[in-house]
Amino acid sequence: MKSAPFEHHEPDTVDEAVSLLESLDDPTILAGGQSLVPMLRFRLANPDVVVDINGIDSLDYLDEGDGHLRLGALARHADVEDSDLIDEKYGSFADAAPLVADPQIRNRGTVVGSVAQADPKGDWGSILLAHEGEVIATGPDGDRAIPADEFFLLPYDTTLGEQELITEIRVPEPAPTEGSAYHKLKRKTGDYAMAGVGVRLVFDDDGVIESAGIGMTAVDITNARATDAEEHLEGERPSPDLFATAGELAAEQSNPESDEHGGADYKERMVDVLTQRALSDAAERAGTVTVQRRVTQ
Amino acid sequence: MSSEPDTPDAETEYQHDDDGGPDPEKHCGHGRGGMGEEVTRKEDKRFITGRGNYVDDIKKPGMLHCEIVRSPHAHARIEEIDGSRAEAMDGVVAVLTAEDLLEHDLATMPTLMDDTQDVLVNEKVKFQSQEVAAVIATDRYAAKDGAQKVEVDYDVLDPVVDAEEALEEDAPLVRDELEDQEDNHIFDWDTGDKEATETVFDEAAVTVEEDMLYQRLHPAPIETCGAVADWDPGMDKMTVHMTSQAPHAHRTLFSQVSGIPEHKVRIVSPDVGGGFGNKVPIYPGYVVAAAASYVLEEPVKWIEERSENIQTTGFARDYDMTGELAATEDGVIEGVKVDVLANHGAYNAAAQPSKFPAGFFNIFTGSYDIEAAYGSLTAAFTNTAPGGVAYRCSFRVTEAVYLIERMVKVLADELEMDPAEIRRRNFIPSDAFPYESATGWNYDSGDYEKALDKALEMADYDHYREEQQRRIEEDADKLIGIGISSFTEVVGAGPGKQCDIAGIEMFDSADLRVNPTGNAVLRVGVQTQGQGHETTFAQIVAEELGMDVDSITVEHGDTDTEPYGLGTYGSRSTPVAGAAAAVAARKVRDKAKSIAANELEAAEEDIEWERESGEFHVAGAPDRSITITEIAAGAYMNHPGDEEPGLEAVNYYDPPEMTYPFGSYIVIVEIDRETGEVDFEKFVAVDDCGNRINPMIIEGQIHGGLAQGIGTAMLEKVTYDDNGNVTGGDFMNYLLPTANEIPNFDTGHTVTPSPHHPIGAKGVGESPTVGSPPAIVNAVVDAMSHAGVTHVEMPMTPDVVWETLDEVGLAHQPAHNVEFDLGDDAEPADD
Repeated sequence: MKSAPFEHHEPDTVDEAVSLLESLDDPTILAGGQSLVPMLRFRLANPDVVVDINGIDSLDYLDEGDGHLRLGALARHADVEDSDLIDEKYGSFADAAPLVADPQIRNRGTVVGSVAQADPKGDWGSILLAHEGEVIATGPDGDRAIPADEFFLLPYDTTLGEQELITEIRVPEPAPTEGSAYHKLKRKTGDYAMAGVGVRLVFDDDGVIESAGIGMTAVDITNARATDAEEHLEGERPSPDLFATAGELAAEQSNPESDEHGGADYKERMVDVLTQRALSDAAERAGTVTVQRRVTQ
Repeated sequence: MSSEPDTPDAETEYQHDDDGGPDPEKHCGHGRGGMGEEVTRKEDKRFITGRGNYVDDIKKPGMLHCEIVRSPHAHARIEEIDGSRAEAMDGVVAVLTAEDLLEHDLATMPTLMDDTQDVLVNEKVKFQSQEVAAVIATDRYAAKDGAQKVEVDYDVLDPVVDAEEALEEDAPLVRDELEDQEDNHIFDWDTGDKEATETVFDEAAVTVEEDMLYQRLHPAPIETCGAVADWDPGMDKMTVHMTSQAPHAHRTLFSQVSGIPEHKVRIVSPDVGGGFGNKVPIYPGYVVAAAASYVLEEPVKWIEERSENIQTTGFARDYDMTGELAATEDGVIEGVKVDVLANHGAYNAAAQPSKFPAGFFNIFTGSYDIEAAYGSLTAAFTNTAPGGVAYRCSFRVTEAVYLIERMVKVLADELEMDPAEIRRRNFIPSDAFPYESATGWNYDSGDYEKALDKALEMADYDHYREEQQRRIEEDADKLIGIGISSFTEVVGAGPGKQCDIAGIEMFDSADLRVNPTGNAVLRVGVQTQGQGHETTFAQIVAEELGMDVDSITVEHGDTDTEPYGLGTYGSRSTPVAGAAAAVAARKVRDKAKSIAANELEAAEEDIEWERESGEFHVAGAPDRSITITEIAAGAYMNHPGDEEPGLEAVNYYDPPEMTYPFGSYIVIVEIDRETGEVDFEKFVAVDDCGNRINPMIIEGQIHGGLAQGIGTAMLEKVTYDDNGNVTGGDFMNYLLPTANEIPNFDTGHTVTPSPHHPIGAKGVGESPTVGSPPAIVNAVVDAMSHAGVTHVEMPMTPDVVWETLDEVGLAHQPAHNVEFDLGDDAEPADD
């Protein structure tokens, strides 16, 4: 890596990090380096000052508390991939983790860093949206919780303040009749998504969809919610036709562009397909339906 | 010494049991590591333990670092270059431009096709990232920082990146510096009998035609190109450690470019981290490093970055082809026609023998006995990086094999015939060898039907045909496709009179010295890049001298000590240098007989060598025997008075013909009708490379080449936008397959020895890259051919496949075959 020269700071605590963000001129935060390191290597990013948060041990956690699943800023993708808690209760996270980048990058890259990067082709933003999660930002005035819906503005642009550090993301603990899933299409291991869809379904005791959350990857200028599809699902019982219509509505609400990851039409159609697949998985995981195939394969 | 080596009967002496694989007891016999044994690779100890020595590992006292300033534009005139801000920076020693190189007559260099390429751009940039200036600094970071401060004023011109557009009348002229070059046309070439072929087509019952693009690929070795140049003003000698597949040829070219006499130029190619054809040409970076070392009188290192490698060094393929076949109603192919538009980039820098402007493309009749053939090709300059290197193939044979193997599938579908059966009807019969093709190639040996039959059996072909039909009938969500490729390769250039590189005939060489203590050093003119030469060539010597393979060291890559050779590419190392090693060993064996006679006090004509035991003995008295180790001692300590002391031999081998390895690959894919994703269900590769030296190394070669074939068919393509910007210039966008994209391979083999090769061997390293892409494309097409699909362009990413599914009405929605069970007691289902 032949980056341009920069000043490197290694705070040990969140307080120290926040005061560095306050006092330094235009600092860039380094967590796993999944995006920043390649940008330094290509000299697409030429920061004068880097605040490296990898030494802040208090940010290295993945647990449940306060009715939430909580991921600290140093929880790596691999931590999610290896977690029994995730396997047991958080289908969408379990689906997504092994699909992020490649194994080497997952050992280093962080979930929070990926959310903070706000690349519309990142996976975790869609899951955060589907679960109606929150971003915890810590700044000079303490912590504030930013709802996922209010976090993403534009590609690589969020409502995070310049002197704030994301210390955690959190999503509500699932109800017993809840299921979630994430489906992603990519050309190869390590590639960004051609399209991805995260889904969370909460059912009432009669098997009716009480609440639906759908987040989409790589098909808009940010990770985006498919609100029309969500509304269509709520108050209904699951069926292939219901999910097919939801898929169509999600596809209609997406705004993909043609690029090296595929044509816009293809991506739109894949939003439809991936939404239906994720909905089926989520409904099955909630224990509401069993999917039957009429023919093998 | 005998000049006529005794060629063993390959069939009986090296033949393996067909299905049982290598049988050490049967052929070499004694665990000495001769022919056919799975000897573990001698080179792996240093690689596995991190002790390899690559160009970037080389550090010299006072060594400076070179960073190249590259043009952001594809087509632009340079108005001014200002290096003063860079030169003022700490650590920056010099900024070099074309002007500085002109002083030393180093501003241009010849390409392998005798074009002239700027080392640093003198007037006009002709492709994006072309070399404009070089910054020499005390470390890599300073060099890179300095490069960012070099200011270049460009007058940006309209570029042309597409070959067809380049040949239009009003296209921007890429090479306006060439006299008489008024357009972007480079050359026309044709082959075969046009008139006879037209007649066959006019009279044929059935004809088919298909357009297909073999997209621009990059060999993308994991080690990029680089050099450490070290001019020694005391010795007047230039030593260049560089990433070279052909160190001797590069020495000659270096001497010609620089004017330094060849005996004062030393090229060392240390461990090479993959070449695949990328490291055959000379690149400006090498010349800049050498020029900088000459001017500054310090060693200078240049190591290319990944993006620089993909964006500027030799690409492969980029052949836009139209194929046509003429056949009878019964599927007997009577004629083949092909027309090609070749994009050569900004310079004609293809890497192939001088007399072959389209490489070996004219072997496009493939494995089939076709009466009439005609091919034509037009090559064009464009504002893209120069190339046309043989990416893990023998000079455009990959494009030829793709064309014919795709066309046979197109014909089979037109006639509604089984693609295995149509191949069988058209194969060159096994008793027709040696066979001369309609375009003049002399095939040495082959048994194509045997390889195909074996592959069909391994693939469980009939079962999958039934399964394919069932899925179609039941309108299942995943379609099965079965693709076949029964390819023939042509490898092992020379002969020298037909094949030369920049005038140097394509022989190769081996120099074998047996030491007094009975071990030996073999020096060869070819250059391993991972092929396992240090093991394979030692096995040849072990076999031919009865020595233990561990007693033989193979050296390569240093032009000061190795005999002159043309290097490793086009699967030529075993056919040419391997032959030289065998002949050199047999020469040593001949001399050893006279020493044996002296030691055993018998007449030389009574001394016999026994392959089985590896020992020399007196005829009729097997107990009066002597080993090569004992003979070696005799050669130095008790040499016969009428012989020179010592025990060594050199052979420069000019092959009488090329070798023609072949095989049949069968690929079975499953296509997701909802997303267009393609999964490999089965991947069978049956190869025939004649007698097999090390089956394990061959299998490793096959695995690697199949992975590259999958990359070609499914993922890889160098792309440009209309402004000539490379849009696939890094590994984020140029998609190499990983282990996750690679299925398990079922490999098998048949053995049809080469009749003219001293050990009956043929080249093999490139067969899988050449043979597999058409098998994969044929499989994907086959899954949809019932709906009328005849072709899918590479790379077959999910969107490309889905669009084809959608066009012919085969795309599915997830709800298509699904019902939900909403029972109260519904349990979460296992997936």
